[in-house]
Amino acid sequence: MTMDRDRLAQVALDALTLLVAVLLLFPILWVAVSSFKPEGDILAAGLIPRALTLEHYRAVLGEAAFVRALGNSLIVGLASALIAIAVALPAAYALARFQFRGREQLGLLVLSTQMLPSVAILVPLVVIMRTLELSNTLTGLVITHLTLGLPIAVWMLRGYFDSIPRDLEEAAWIDGASQTQALLRIVLPLMAPAVVAVATFAFVLSWGEYVLALSLVSSTQSKTLPLALQALFDPYSFSWGQVMAGGVIIAVPAVALFLIFRRYLIGGLVSGGVKG
Amino acid sequence: MRALSKLDFYPYWLLLPAVIVAILVAIAPLIYGFVLSLHDWYLLRSPVPTWAGLANYRELLTDEDFWLAFARTWFWTLGTVVVEFAIGIPLALLLNRDTAVAKAVSAFILMPWVTPFIVVAYGWRFLLDSELGLLHGLLETASLAGDRSILADPLGALVMVTFISGWKGVPFVVIAMLAALKSIPAELYEAAEIDGAGRRQRFRFVTLPALRNTAVVIGLILGILAFYSFDLVWIMTRGGPVDSTTIVGISIYQTFFADLRPSYAATISSVMLAVLLVAALLTLRLRRAEA
Repeated sequence: MTMDRDRLAQVALDALTLLVAVLLLFPILWVAVSSFKPEGDILAAGLIPRALTLEHYRAVLGEAAFVRALGNSLIVGLASALIAIAVALPAAYALARFQFRGREQLGLLVLSTQMLPSVAILVPLVVIMRTLELSNTLTGLVITHLTLGLPIAVWMLRGYFDSIPRDLEEAAWIDGASQTQALLRIVLPLMAPAVVAVATFAFVLSWGEYVLALSLVSSTQSKTLPLALQALFDPYSFSWGQVMAGGVIIAVPAVALFLIFRRYLIGGLVSGGVKG
Repeated sequence: MRALSKLDFYPYWLLLPAVIVAILVAIAPLIYGFVLSLHDWYLLRSPVPTWAGLANYRELLTDEDFWLAFARTWFWTLGTVVVEFAIGIPLALLLNRDTAVAKAVSAFILMPWVTPFIVVAYGWRFLLDSELGLLHGLLETASLAGDRSILADPLGALVMVTFISGWKGVPFVVIAMLAALKSIPAELYEAAEIDGAGRRQRFRFVTLPALRNTAVVIGLILGILAFYSFDLVWIMTRGGPVDSTTIVGISIYQTFFADLRPSYAATISSVMLAVLLVAALLTLRLRRAEA
């Protein structure tokens, strides 16, 4: 009797959960559904599409400026993710495995940049980049996007180093391996999935970044995807379907990579916070 | 660690690149921003800044537009965090059950958080569009919006965009709270049950206290994020209509790019950073207390 009542309660709660989830995810579902609706159906504002079409994707991907921005976003995202990892790995290793004077302070110096919102340092950053003639360049974007990826990468990688027992390294030393050999042959292979996950995270942060790109880039040549999507919208005549299709193209890699690496990212997400 | 004395400088070398990057892209701009705030620099008049001492700060004290933006920012920040928690905590409790539905939804619930601002902002603009927007139709029926989109109404726009800002942060609260809920030892519940605590009492005396610390810390993190928001507001309303959604992040951008006064924009940033510093120190202290 109580079993039945319990089960019934769970089913009711499941239904409530589904309802809340659908409401919460609705705006995103709406973007996705609208991107596949024929132009005429969008005007009809119906919930369920009567027909599906790829016309908006074809139109968006037929725009030279959008395709260019897609390439730019890939380059900037990959470059800043790779640099962030290359710089963060040794730093995280030092913070996790060594005792030295100033360890906490130096760690805090790197990590505190995580708490520094882009808007707060926007003005000096843009002035500096203009002075160095790096505004309107992808190089300038890669450098500034490091503020997004680096601190979180150090934070998360340090946690992963901490989670790998030192005994493993010490056993390798006893077998005659140097500290560096132990790191490269024993520890890093164990961490490989985590490293890929953190790199992915850095990539996604750069991929969707808006305010720095908006402030640094005005030429079509160097625009990234968020700016290209805005350009689709800005003119007096635009198609909601195309804007939604462009949005899906931007959202899919971010969402997919997060879902794939969810296991690795959630701990760091919660403990490190994410810069907006 | 073995042979640490021989490797004295080794950890410093390992950290050096990260420290250099942090200084270049964060610390140096931070200091330069403060230096800029002590200068007078109007781009239409002069290509270089000239020393002005505290003139910008004095101007800021009596700058009504700034104080209005400052007040709006507090409304926006508190509103965002309230929405995040009001939806996030009940949802976390719903998802903290061992059913297939709860597990599946936990995975997808992240989507608003990980979808870039530019995408969700246009999605919401579409929903609220006065001609084609699905949600606009509902708001119109509920007479919360007239012929024009709610985004064209000063108060409506501020409330709506604040709600959307909270909506986007809900998954963060859910994930953090789920982690906190899962870390409550089952023995605590069992002990409470043996002591005769009912379901409601167990929630009140076991669950809630365990969530408190996490809630304070992520509340501060989310508050800081909201305090410096820019993307969502700029894409949805550009700070309008009639400045009604101009929060400080928008002020900084406008002062730089529309008024062409980088040093005054830097002054606003510096004041906001002082506020942030207090909040950040508070967060670190609380986080340490939690650990």
